[in-house]
Amino acid sequence: MFLEINNIKKSFGEAENQIEVLKGIDLSIEKGEFCVLLGPSGSGKSTLLNIIGGIDNSDEGYISIDGEKTGDMTEKKLTLYRRKHLGYIFQMYNLIPNLTIRENIEVGAYLSDCPLDIEEMMHTLGIYEHQHKLPNQLSGGQQQRTAIGRALVKNPDILLCDEPTGALDYNTSKEILTLIETVNDKYGNTIVMVTHNDAIKYMADQVVHLKDGVVRKRYRNEKKVPAQELDW
Amino acid sequence: MKNPLQKRLLRELRDEAGKYIVIFVLLAATIGFVSGFLVADGSMRITYDESFERYNIEDGYFDVAKELTAGEKEALEKSDINVYDGCFVEEALQNGSTLRIFPNREEVDKVCLMEGEFPEKAGEIAIDRMYAENNGIDVGDTIKSEGKSWTVTGYVALSDYSCLFSNNNDTMFDAVKFGVAIVTKEEFDSYSRKALNYRYAWTYNAKPENEQEENDRAEDLMKAMGKVITLETFVPKYQNQAITFTGDDMGSDKAMITVLLYMVIGILAFVFGITISNTITKEANTIGTLRASGYTRGELVRHYISMPLFVTLIGALTGNILGYTVMKNIVSEMYYGSYSLTKFVTIWSGEAFIKTTVVPFLMMLLINLAVLNDKLKLSPLKFIRRDLSRRRQKHAIRLGVKIPFFTRFRLRIIFQNMSNYVILLIGIIFANLLLLFGLALPVVLDHYQAEIENNMLSKYQYMLSVPVRVMSDDSKIRSMISMLEFSAATETDNESAEKFTAYSLNTTDDICDSEEILLYGIGKDSSYIPLDFSDGQIYISSGYADKYDLKAGDTITLKEKYEEDTYDFKISGIYDYMGALSVFMSQEQLNETFDLAQDYFSGYFSDTELTDINDKYIGSVVDKDALTKVSRQLDVSMGSMMYLVDGFAMLIFMVVIYLLSKIIIEKNAQSISMTKILGYENSEISRLYILSTSFMVVIFLLFGMVIDYGLLTVIYREMMRSMLSGWIAFYTDWTVFVRMFLLGIVTYAAVAVLEMRKIRRVPMDEALKNAE
Repeated sequence: MFLEINNIKKSFGEAENQIEVLKGIDLSIEKGEFCVLLGPSGSGKSTLLNIIGGIDNSDEGYISIDGEKTGDMTEKKLTLYRRKHLGYIFQMYNLIPNLTIRENIEVGAYLSDCPLDIEEMMHTLGIYEHQHKLPNQLSGGQQQRTAIGRALVKNPDILLCDEPTGALDYNTSKEILTLIETVNDKYGNTIVMVTHNDAIKYMADQVVHLKDGVVRKRYRNEKKVPAQELDW
Repeated sequence: MKNPLQKRLLRELRDEAGKYIVIFVLLAATIGFVSGFLVADGSMRITYDESFERYNIEDGYFDVAKELTAGEKEALEKSDINVYDGCFVEEALQNGSTLRIFPNREEVDKVCLMEGEFPEKAGEIAIDRMYAENNGIDVGDTIKSEGKSWTVTGYVALSDYSCLFSNNNDTMFDAVKFGVAIVTKEEFDSYSRKALNYRYAWTYNAKPENEQEENDRAEDLMKAMGKVITLETFVPKYQNQAITFTGDDMGSDKAMITVLLYMVIGILAFVFGITISNTITKEANTIGTLRASGYTRGELVRHYISMPLFVTLIGALTGNILGYTVMKNIVSEMYYGSYSLTKFVTIWSGEAFIKTTVVPFLMMLLINLAVLNDKLKLSPLKFIRRDLSRRRQKHAIRLGVKIPFFTRFRLRIIFQNMSNYVILLIGIIFANLLLLFGLALPVVLDHYQAEIENNMLSKYQYMLSVPVRVMSDDSKIRSMISMLEFSAATETDNESAEKFTAYSLNTTDDICDSEEILLYGIGKDSSYIPLDFSDGQIYISSGYADKYDLKAGDTITLKEKYEEDTYDFKISGIYDYMGALSVFMSQEQLNETFDLAQDYFSGYFSDTELTDINDKYIGSVVDKDALTKVSRQLDVSMGSMMYLVDGFAMLIFMVVIYLLSKIIIEKNAQSISMTKILGYENSEISRLYILSTSFMVVIFLLFGMVIDYGLLTVIYREMMRSMLSGWIAFYTDWTVFVRMFLLGIVTYAAVAVLEMRKIRRVPMDEALKNAE
């Protein structure tokens, strides 16, 4: 198994204010698989994604990627782990505002020994003509494409997407989802996507429903629906 | 109901404690120093002004060859004056200095006891405090001359020697090699009459009401005295540098110190402005929501301006407390380091309060009000959308892809923070100006000393003292006899000696107070001043040319000191001599111009000491020691202050860099957090965010040096023009700039370590927190 999530527990706060957000999550994801984490607000899906991404620690349990456990890693190793294996896409894009579109993608490229071709990536993402603009000169969809470019350009093993369409309109959301689908097909990256949008589950290989910090339902789609055909 | 937003202030103060503490420290230190300076200066000034009455300071003194008889004294007092005994002896001490010893005075020029006790018996002495400090003499020590020794019982300040001029003709005093002291009458009477210098002080029974009247009365008095006694010297109070120099110098730095304060406040106000601007960007959503909910712009302006004003007010109050306590003493020590002032009493200064509290508060208010009004002008919707730019930037500045990525990244950080860097540049220029001044002044003085030693007109210049009776005697015959006596007694057989005539005139220039210019009449084929005077050429010294921006072809106008007569001289050339402000012409021309006898002379140039001239006719000897008095005294009085200036400059430098680089990191916290998430290491992020500031700091340090050098040459010129008679040219060498650069880099390195720590501490969830 490529990505193994084993008995992950996580609490926030102290004493009587303590809230257990993850109550022992077990999950395994195959290499190249597209996994969607669904659930209402407060279900713990973003927290789980952050723990997978090494930007938060679990209280118990471990994450293993290709046999490497993240819990045993030092701060430096964890940085290298993110650098080597992960790409991140956020709901609010989190682009660096004073860098151009091209430079934002280069931020990702710098981290890889053999990054993908930036020009080709911008063409694929449809942002080539905007490469010299700053993020605030672009629409939300274009900014999210840039964020995808930044995440993908280093050709990561795992692409973590936290509500990537949460701030976008219907059409743009579909465009972005199609893009992610294409990337998954073309580059074979493992994708873990957190979303509120129930319709997205149809395009995933594996669907995990979280509620109150536990996995309520988990299944694989026999037949995936292309992103373009999704409706909500 | 009280505005609930104000509840945030205390929390903000706690969260941003580091920032507010450094601003507070700089404000309190600057205001404290300036307040201390203004309070000490004002109090000293009042003490000095009141000392004339309190210590009954003389209206003038005169020297005679022998003791006045009771009859002569009575005759002199008919001119509506009181005459007092001011006789003294001079002792050459074993430490190489000269001590002028008086019996304790009880009627005129009274003595202020600064520490210890007055002498009570023979063998005891109380010496001038400043002279004692400069020579490391403590109360209880024993001081020795060749034949005598005394126990020092205390430190005193003689009210007629607030400035330790040994000779009134000197261009500068020397409180290291000359001091004054008092002994008991019994001790003083043990000196033989031969050792005494017969000096008498006078006071007017009815004080003159203004300077003109004082001048007229002094002239009349000199004539009246000339009829009764044979005057050797006659010095009215207004000409006595030992009394007036201090008063003239006091307060001359006030304007500069006040400008220093306002510059620091201005820089801090802009730092606050940038901080506020950054906070508004960070809190744009909240501001938009508050504005949309009905909060007025005024309420928000008042909220955001509260903290800068609060910190300024606390800083100003603390500064004033420091000013009236610690700093006042430091500044008064600086005064006491230069002058032999009597004890002063601290007097509350309204001026100091306005300049150090009211004006800084208003500056902070106005600058921040302008920034806030501008920033908060946008509509609530724009704030909610975080769209705070007035003009949408059409294109980012293009940077070629061939430029390495990290370099482009750093350039983008620089472009993004231009306003911060502008303030940083101003801060660095200002701090480095102070640092350059602090580092360059000792070099200027050393260079001046070396220059003087290598570039003297002659090893010795003997300025003869023409007896007052030659000038003041109404009887032409008696005057001529006196002149003949003088001429005969001042001939020398020394072969290296060369006669010259010296004549003093004053400048008429508006730039500085009128100052004395010494005109030399040089004999034919002089070996000391090898200039061509054959066609009536007139030369000026390079010091004079430098100070007054004069060149060959210019015409200078000089005047008699206390008369209206003026003289015009066309400059033929500049003679390389920095030691004094002088004019050189042929002796013949000078004697003719001033109606002096053809063979009149008033001094000698000589490379060896003259031993065959009666001492009483030698007014002063200008040798290396005399010429370097100015630089030595400046070194003594300002040397210690330079360390203070250097330290203060580095403090400003550090605070400005710390605050602005902190703002840059805070502004980019989200990007820094994001790069961490992406897998950048702390060292890589530091290279991006710290190196861009480092690069700017280095550029600004180098650029600032050029600007500061230009600024300092102008400021130094004005400062020296106003505070100094004579001239010390500005000079600096490359080592000053190297030290300045290294100090800047070391100071920055300390800040960079703090910055690195700050970058390490930016949490990764910062990018997630502010993403909404």
